[in-house]
Amino acid sequence: MRKKALVLLIGCSLVISIMLGGCTSMQNKTVATTPKYPDRPITVIVPFSAGSGLDLIARLLEKTAPQHLGQPLIVVNKPGGAGTLGFNELVGASPDGYTIGISSLEVILNPLYGSAKYNYPTALDPLAQVASSASVLAVQANQPWQDLAAIIEYGKSNPGKLKFGHQGIGSFSHIVGETFSQTTGCMLEQVPFRGGGETVAALLGGHVQIAFVSPAMIKEHLKNGTIRALAVSDSQRLSDPVFAQVPTLKEQGFDVVFNSWFGVVAPKEMPSEVKDKLVVGLKAIISDSEFKKSVENMGYQLDYLGAKESAAKWQADSKKLTKTVQETGILDLIKAQKQ
Amino acid sequence: MEVVSLLLQGFSISILPANLLACVTGVLIGTLVGVLPGIDTISAIALLLPFSYGLESTPALIMFAGIYYGSKYGGSTTSILMNVPGEAASVVTCLDGYPMAQRGRAGAALTVSAIGSFVAGTIGIIGLTLLAPPLAQAALAFGPPEYFSIALVGLAVLSKLTGTSTLKSLLMATTGIMLGTVGMDSLSGISRFTFGVDELDRGFDLSILAMGIFGIGEIITVMTEPHTRMSVPTIRLRDLYPTKEEWRRSTAPMVRGGIIGFLVGLLPGPAATISSFVSYAAEKRCSKNPAEFGCGAIEGVAGPESANNAAISATMIPLLSLGLPFCGATAILLSGFMLHGIIPGPALITQQPELFWGLIASMYIGNVLLLVINLPLIGVFVQLLKTPFYILMPLVAVVTLTGAYSVNNSVFDLVWVIIFGVLGFLLRRAGFEPAPLVIGLVLGPELERGLAQGLIISNGDIWTLISRPISATILAVGAMIMLYNTARWFGKMQNNRKQGSC
Repeated sequence: MRKKALVLLIGCSLVISIMLGGCTSMQNKTVATTPKYPDRPITVIVPFSAGSGLDLIARLLEKTAPQHLGQPLIVVNKPGGAGTLGFNELVGASPDGYTIGISSLEVILNPLYGSAKYNYPTALDPLAQVASSASVLAVQANQPWQDLAAIIEYGKSNPGKLKFGHQGIGSFSHIVGETFSQTTGCMLEQVPFRGGGETVAALLGGHVQIAFVSPAMIKEHLKNGTIRALAVSDSQRLSDPVFAQVPTLKEQGFDVVFNSWFGVVAPKEMPSEVKDKLVVGLKAIISDSEFKKSVENMGYQLDYLGAKESAAKWQADSKKLTKTVQETGILDLIKAQKQ
Repeated sequence: MEVVSLLLQGFSISILPANLLACVTGVLIGTLVGVLPGIDTISAIALLLPFSYGLESTPALIMFAGIYYGSKYGGSTTSILMNVPGEAASVVTCLDGYPMAQRGRAGAALTVSAIGSFVAGTIGIIGLTLLAPPLAQAALAFGPPEYFSIALVGLAVLSKLTGTSTLKSLLMATTGIMLGTVGMDSLSGISRFTFGVDELDRGFDLSILAMGIFGIGEIITVMTEPHTRMSVPTIRLRDLYPTKEEWRRSTAPMVRGGIIGFLVGLLPGPAATISSFVSYAAEKRCSKNPAEFGCGAIEGVAGPESANNAAISATMIPLLSLGLPFCGATAILLSGFMLHGIIPGPALITQQPELFWGLIASMYIGNVLLLVINLPLIGVFVQLLKTPFYILMPLVAVVTLTGAYSVNNSVFDLVWVIIFGVLGFLLRRAGFEPAPLVIGLVLGPELERGLAQGLIISNGDIWTLISRPISATILAVGAMIMLYNTARWFGKMQNNRKQGSC
């Protein structure tokens, strides 16, 4: 019987070592630029879990990729650390054009908070921006505040009573909320939640009075009349007819303009022909009318920017957000916790 | 009643060939996902999403829903036969299912679990049909302080349901809570206990822990047994199905499990796993012979297996009525919805009744199909027991590791699965029952989050936990259970010299 145990042990360890060997990710392969790029499927690393908004964007790209890029896209989710793990993997991947990834505002935010191994804006190369999303200030419909001025008034006269829900310390909605709170002077208290679903649930249940969420999460509730949207953080009103009545923070006199974007990135130093092919192919996918419809169904605005424009936007956003996280005290909040 | 006519309309849609085929495909894949340890619902649906683009929205959604609830049928198979849970929600089934298999009652356990799943699944869907909107509103009334109270009561009550030593169970639960704190905390944005390792930012996934401790742990235990495990020599037809006695004992647990699972399923997080634990604790409480639990009590199989199926229907309620996903699997279902241009929410029932009622009707049909598929397969599965372990176990190892990799596409996770496997083996050797670890891992973060968020909402006032009515009720119930337990323990202390063992 000891022999059987030994056989089993050897068998299991063989199996385990084969599995480990086979599953190692591509590391430092030599870059061979074949003129026939792409000649095998392209991996898209999504730094967030399956089912999240970014993941959906990637899967939508995947839908029409074969006809525009010539090869299918394979979506691989690598969640963790608010995108850090996926971005790290992308930075370390070989720039042969067979590994690209999805980027989001976290590319800029994570290095600011000191939680990233690399400085992503310089370590990654944007290929395109796909869509953008703003943050909507939402309240329960049965609350008495009909517009922004009313809630600011209430917040000023009852400091500390109003709580706003957002999707995590340092996240986009947190930044929008804190900037709003400080610019208007109504001193809201922040309550972090794990994702838009939890935030909206807390709002509907009356546990927080305000929520900063993406439009997609509350669209149906707005239609149903259970939630009222008081403002949106974009530079102009949302194109979705459901949100046509929602004024921007800018037009109400507050200089709070933020939008969160999603794009496609690649590791740096990709050969230029490969990069050009990708940029052209992605542009074709994104310009597809079905793609536009699907993206808008999900509550995002299609907002295509080419590679150069994306890079410029990254620089602009980086400057702006560096200032914002310092001014709102979010950076200090995070740094203090790390002590 | 209007509901009945709408439901009949739904049935007429769900028996259309395309929808029926989608339902069959979905439940088959779901059963497979459940049977194979490691491969979980989220990965399966994520993999199949691209293939669904060509389908119409109704068949696509029926298929995804089929995968979702189908997976809870198959999860008990490997739990009972090999002590390796197919899903995190089937961990509890190992506790009594495997001892039953060791006594030759594997077929009975599998049958009871299949029928219990059917009964509870049906109860769940009836609940979904009739009570969806009011229950969704009720679920919204639960805020962070309530989740804290539930987690606290859950930890106090559920961590001592296995094994004989309360101290050891509590140690396991505490370890589970400690493991739950590892990773990047979403509330404060800082990484805890990651020792600078980026991959640990994600924390420990429930499935990784469960696959490791129970799956790989069991495989290592089998490898080190000096004698061959008992394999059933001949399978008589009588062995395949439960005896009258077993039927009688499992009917009430099935119904109880269904109701408990449905109610617990409304909570956020891994509701199916929590509901299986709650059902196990409830069955142990209601049983006339609690000492039998852990040695092969059929109630310990019927209850939890039913509960996790009913919980699935309950998790669909916030998704369909409010468009809010409360757990990972419903989040990906939501993505599936959105990819097909459907945004579930309050208006779904009124604006797209064909879709909603077609989906509900297909869930009824799916449940029947699952029963029809699973019952004959019991004979096949029990034959699996005859395979020599040195062939079976490596196969299980391969499947478990593949599944573990597929959760986060990370080799790091594989290393952890193996480490947890060794840990599980050592724990069992030392006489610890690792099931409370799962409870600690699941409820610990809920506890912390609920407290932190609750205190922010109440401006630091801890008494908010008692001044809010729902939270106060839950805490009161928990306190009463604890008092009752303490009183019973005092009473038993005189008589309880010898610990129960099999």
